[in-house]
Amino acid sequence: MADWLERIRIVKLTKKFGSFTAVDSVSFTVRKNEFFSLLGPSGCGKTTTLRCIAGLEQPTSGEVYIGGRLVSSPEKGVMVAPERRGIGMVFQNYAVWPHMTVEQNIAYPLKIARVSKVKIRSTLSSIVDLLKLSGLEKRYPAELSGGQQQRVALGRALAMDPEVMLLDEPLSNLDAKLREQMRFELKDLQRKTGIAILYVTHDQVEAMAMSDRVAVMNGGVVIQEGTPYEIYKSPATKFVADFIGTMNFLPCEVVEWRDGCAILRLRNGSVVRINSPEVERGSYTLAVRPEDLLLNREEGVDCQVDVAIFLGNAVDYRVKLGDDILRVQTSVDNRFEQGEKAKLAVQRGILFS
Amino acid sequence: MNGASLGRSFDVRYVITAAIGLFFAVVIVFPLSLVIAKSFSSDSGLSLANYGRVFSDAANLKALWNSVWVSVLSTAICVAAGSLLAMLVIRTDIPAKSFLRLLLLLPYGIPPFIGAIAWSQLFGPAGYVSKLYMSITGAASAPWNIYSPGGVVLVLSIYQFPVVFITVSGALRRIDTSLEEAARMSGASPFKTLLDVTLPLITPAIVAGGLLAFVGCISNFGIPALLGFRARFFVLTTKIYSALSIPDMPIAAAMSVILAFVSGLALVLQRRLEREQHRYAVISGKSVRPQTMSLGAARIPLLVMVIAMALFAGVVPIASMVLTSFIKYWGAPLALKSMTLDHYKYVLRIPTGARAFRNSLFLAVGAATITMTAGALVSYMCIRVKLAVARVLDFLGTIPYAVPHTMIAIAMILAWSRPPVVLYGTIWVLLAAYLVTYMPFSIRTTNATLQQVHVSLEEAARVSGARWSDTMRDIVLPLIKPGLAAGWVLVFMPAFRELTMSVLLWSQGAETLGVVIYNMQDADYTQIAAALSTVVLLIIFVGNALVRRLSRGEIGF
Repeated sequence: MADWLERIRIVKLTKKFGSFTAVDSVSFTVRKNEFFSLLGPSGCGKTTTLRCIAGLEQPTSGEVYIGGRLVSSPEKGVMVAPERRGIGMVFQNYAVWPHMTVEQNIAYPLKIARVSKVKIRSTLSSIVDLLKLSGLEKRYPAELSGGQQQRVALGRALAMDPEVMLLDEPLSNLDAKLREQMRFELKDLQRKTGIAILYVTHDQVEAMAMSDRVAVMNGGVVIQEGTPYEIYKSPATKFVADFIGTMNFLPCEVVEWRDGCAILRLRNGSVVRINSPEVERGSYTLAVRPEDLLLNREEGVDCQVDVAIFLGNAVDYRVKLGDDILRVQTSVDNRFEQGEKAKLAVQRGILFS
Repeated sequence: MNGASLGRSFDVRYVITAAIGLFFAVVIVFPLSLVIAKSFSSDSGLSLANYGRVFSDAANLKALWNSVWVSVLSTAICVAAGSLLAMLVIRTDIPAKSFLRLLLLLPYGIPPFIGAIAWSQLFGPAGYVSKLYMSITGAASAPWNIYSPGGVVLVLSIYQFPVVFITVSGALRRIDTSLEEAARMSGASPFKTLLDVTLPLITPAIVAGGLLAFVGCISNFGIPALLGFRARFFVLTTKIYSALSIPDMPIAAAMSVILAFVSGLALVLQRRLEREQHRYAVISGKSVRPQTMSLGAARIPLLVMVIAMALFAGVVPIASMVLTSFIKYWGAPLALKSMTLDHYKYVLRIPTGARAFRNSLFLAVGAATITMTAGALVSYMCIRVKLAVARVLDFLGTIPYAVPHTMIAIAMILAWSRPPVVLYGTIWVLLAAYLVTYMPFSIRTTNATLQQVHVSLEEAARVSGARWSDTMRDIVLPLIKPGLAAGWVLVFMPAFRELTMSVLLWSQGAETLGVVIYNMQDADYTQIAAALSTVVLLIIFVGNALVRRLSRGEIGF
């Protein structure tokens, strides 16, 4: 059963604070070279899960394996101290020690591990080069920008030479521009080092852009796990559909299902047909991405353009379909005026009961 | 960090917590509860007889009434002066703001009893100002008497008004200026804005500052002792002192419980107001540049007035103290040839002088070191380890904050003058009293210091491979060291010049600086008292500069 590529494996991890269950029987595996994200709204239990893996929280039940070694299991009385788990961690607020220079911060894990001075020198210089921190070695954190402090925190985690790195919303304190840049750098870093990264974020764009696999969490449980493509294209629940990207929700009635096609009636009476796995007749919610709706003048159901917002590379419309309001995106070439009557074709959609 | 994740150190932390719990129980809870028990006991067992004696004796009742009216009147003066000056300094375009602030806070740094001595040098029958008045008018005596209820009120007000000034100017600085700007945009004039928006917002701060000043006035001993005894004017604290010298323990205990009840009530109210302010959150934590009102032509006259007031309250008394310490004999003409260093030499030569220095130094160092160590441990268990029992310790350790020093002294006599542990009559009873008194201050500073060190800094060390002990050595201690050092000095300074408890608990060979200064002044050795006071003031100002430096201007005055 043991997977030689596995770096982190948690099995039915549960953490209760008093009567509140923060993490409820969560299981997943992160493999070598993998960028794995825990994605969810604040309070969904993602950070608590991360802290249980780091050893900063004691789980209530379940098991945590790091590099195949059992590090935490209340049932078996195992609780390896955080300092003996050999993981790198980057905290949300960086937690760069204010009384130590950049160099001292990064070298601290090596100093603690009693690595020789010569080895510390060489590791330090390679990390400083990798993270583009050269020239700042003797500075104190107070003299650094947010982005630079972030790199120091990363450097300190890398100095451990870990096989596993935990990142807790590391980009949330940076401004938009820097955040985008750091995304590329983190991804690049992971490719160079081959470290398994467990990344916690509430920012779905971030998770989608960087991850090999994503686990969407809500209310302490993992709702869906998969590649960003799978999660975006085939959300397992309405929550995932709503949380990831933009989604239109339309109440509808399934009239008939035949040959992989569902025929639905919308609230204003118009009939739509979509590709769908077999469904029973009854009331459903149709979920459609803005880019899966085609605004045109020829085919589809009747609608009216309510608001048009020019975005530069595309146009964002708000379209009235009876009492429902939908978001639609089209290319710049095919423009509609505000108030104009038009037709809307549904190219792809998912039914949720 | 969560309990069990620390593995073996888990047990150690419970041992430490239990040890401190025992220490607090013996040193703080046991003696204080003895006072309450004593006040309710008589020959026939549990009774209210002692309180009956307090309220039926005309002299005791008079002292109680004096305490109330003197404190209320002084508080009213403090609130008026403190709030107006705070508004003037923070919210107008008066020049030299930071200089004014420093000048106005000067009395805050002077021990009240030393202030009282200075004021008697200025306005006493043979005081500098009195003599100046007599030489100008040719009158045989000055028309005022510092040894009077009025003198007590004046000096109490001067030494308590900075408390109101600090509270109100803090609130004024934290008000969200957009609230005031909104009033301006709604058509209100600057003055109308002040009245309709600013004043209601800072009212809780004014009341809270007033309550603190009230507690300071009603529990003060030095000022009514040095200025009231000669006029046979007694307040609760000085009456307790008399009751102890009779000695009438039950009455002293009952009166101190009454005093503790009144000041405790005021402190509870003050705490509630402080919390209320946080709940409305109108006054935000962040400091914004406040709007200032233009004073126009009144700018310079007001500046001169404030400087004159501040000089009168803070600088003149210190100058008079220094002058007196150098003058050959009390009443000598003010000329260079009347100056001498003899009093300083005398202070160093007499055994009591040197002994007092040694004792005060020992007590202050001991109290600061022990309370800061215990405080740091309690804070760590409370804030970091989040042990539920540590909250109890935090509470027990801060109780003495609401207890007047006279009551703590009585508690020490009751607890430590009987076998099996007899400390009374030695310097150790003073150390015990100081530990009780300064424990709350230490816990406060250590709490504040530790809260500034974000828990992730420790966690980052743990995941970097550091054990708990490494983390303490490399991360926590270096980061809290400046705060601990500042807190240490903040306990050292008031302990070094403590008067109230020392005067009630000292014995031959265990004199403190406060006691020697008090006794010298009481026996009319004014210059000796002045010389000692000058040295004490010098040490206080050096200590304050040190604290400000260590805390980067956050603590100190």
